[in-house]
Amino acid sequence: MSAPFFKYEYFGTDVSLIIAFVIGIAFGFALERGGFGRATILAAQFYFTNMRVLKVMFTAIVTAMLGIFFLSVIGFLDLSLIYLTPTNVMPNLVGGLVAGVGFVIGGYCPGTSIVAVATGKIDALVYVIGMLFGIFVFGEMFPSIEHFFNSTAMGSVTLPQFFNIPYGIVVFLVVVMAIGAFAAAEWGERKMGNKSLEKKI
Amino acid sequence: MKKFFSNLNAEKKLAMFAFGIGVIAIFAGDPYGKTSIKINVKELSLISPNEIGKVKVEDLADNIIQSKSDFRLIDLRKPEEFAKYNIPTSENIQLDQLLNSELQRNEKLILYSDNDIEATQAWFLLKTNNFKGINIIPGGLNNWKENILFPKCDCGENPSVEQKHKHDKLAEVSKYFGGNIQTNSEELIVKNEMPQLKAPTAITLKKTSGKKKREGC
Repeated sequence: MSAPFFKYEYFGTDVSLIIAFVIGIAFGFALERGGFGRATILAAQFYFTNMRVLKVMFTAIVTAMLGIFFLSVIGFLDLSLIYLTPTNVMPNLVGGLVAGVGFVIGGYCPGTSIVAVATGKIDALVYVIGMLFGIFVFGEMFPSIEHFFNSTAMGSVTLPQFFNIPYGIVVFLVVVMAIGAFAAAEWGERKMGNKSLEKKI
Repeated sequence: MKKFFSNLNAEKKLAMFAFGIGVIAIFAGDPYGKTSIKINVKELSLISPNEIGKVKVEDLADNIIQSKSDFRLIDLRKPEEFAKYNIPTSENIQLDQLLNSELQRNEKLILYSDNDIEATQAWFLLKTNNFKGINIIPGGLNNWKENILFPKCDCGENPSVEQKHKHDKLAEVSKYFGGNIQTNSEELIVKNEMPQLKAPTAITLKKTSGKKKREGC
């Protein structure tokens, strides 16, 4: 048996939707339990007072990366069949900035806003309505921005391909980066925690 | 050393564990190595279609009737299609599982699907993995259906001895595999439904003498 199971047709589209639904529920539950349904915790990330988001995200990235890497090395997973979102440098940069600003202002990202709506947060509901309106506006504007949307295309590219270095080295570097980010986050939390304590005094 | 580790908190222990796995990753190898194939493009570009081993359906049918077992017949179609009908003695291995199967590089393989496309893909796939005796059935199952299960007799009104001989052989082979020969008169009314999966009819091919009774055409 080899993965990805859907690509190898171990199950059809109908079953894949059911599986996606179950995974989605589990993912939402994990996010909510991790505190990602609260705008104050999410926004605290940008003030360096609570780095939970960074820690959870890096933990998820490193866990998924190591799992995918070693499952591929042993031949269980066919990495070439994993879908990679194509890279368009400028649209990705602009989109990232817009999403980042929206994250700071609203206190949620698209996924966590849905989690927060599920637990009855009114601010998240407003956020989601705004997001849906933004999607509508984007759709209406698309013909005029289509050229930009498709500009600076690099195709589906990975770091090992882009830098032409062995995959294992990139895995190692990302792990080191994650550990460094963890250490920096801990340091930042202590530093900002002390500052806010001094202010109170 | 032991004391050093026991003094670390859970986060630091996990970080050290992740660092260790990251170090192992450097030496673990290429993740594409097990699922990708290195193709010698130059060698492949020089292969002409004539070099692809081909087995005629008539020869294959004879081999099956004579119970020759010096080859492995591989059906590349989906399991549900294979379950509906397959050429007797064939094994069902889908294209993406070929390299994970227990095929031997030195055995004679005969590959087929509904047509030539998948079989040719499989031929290239195995060829790039140094399999030696790979053959395909030109036209695949459609060819088998047309020429073995439901062959047409073009004997005409007054068949020659050779034509009668050919007709009789076609009829017997077709019957052996559960099909039936098509004559011009039958062509319009017979629906070529694939035979149900079962062991081939237990008949032995008669030696044709040319004096046999005319059947069908």
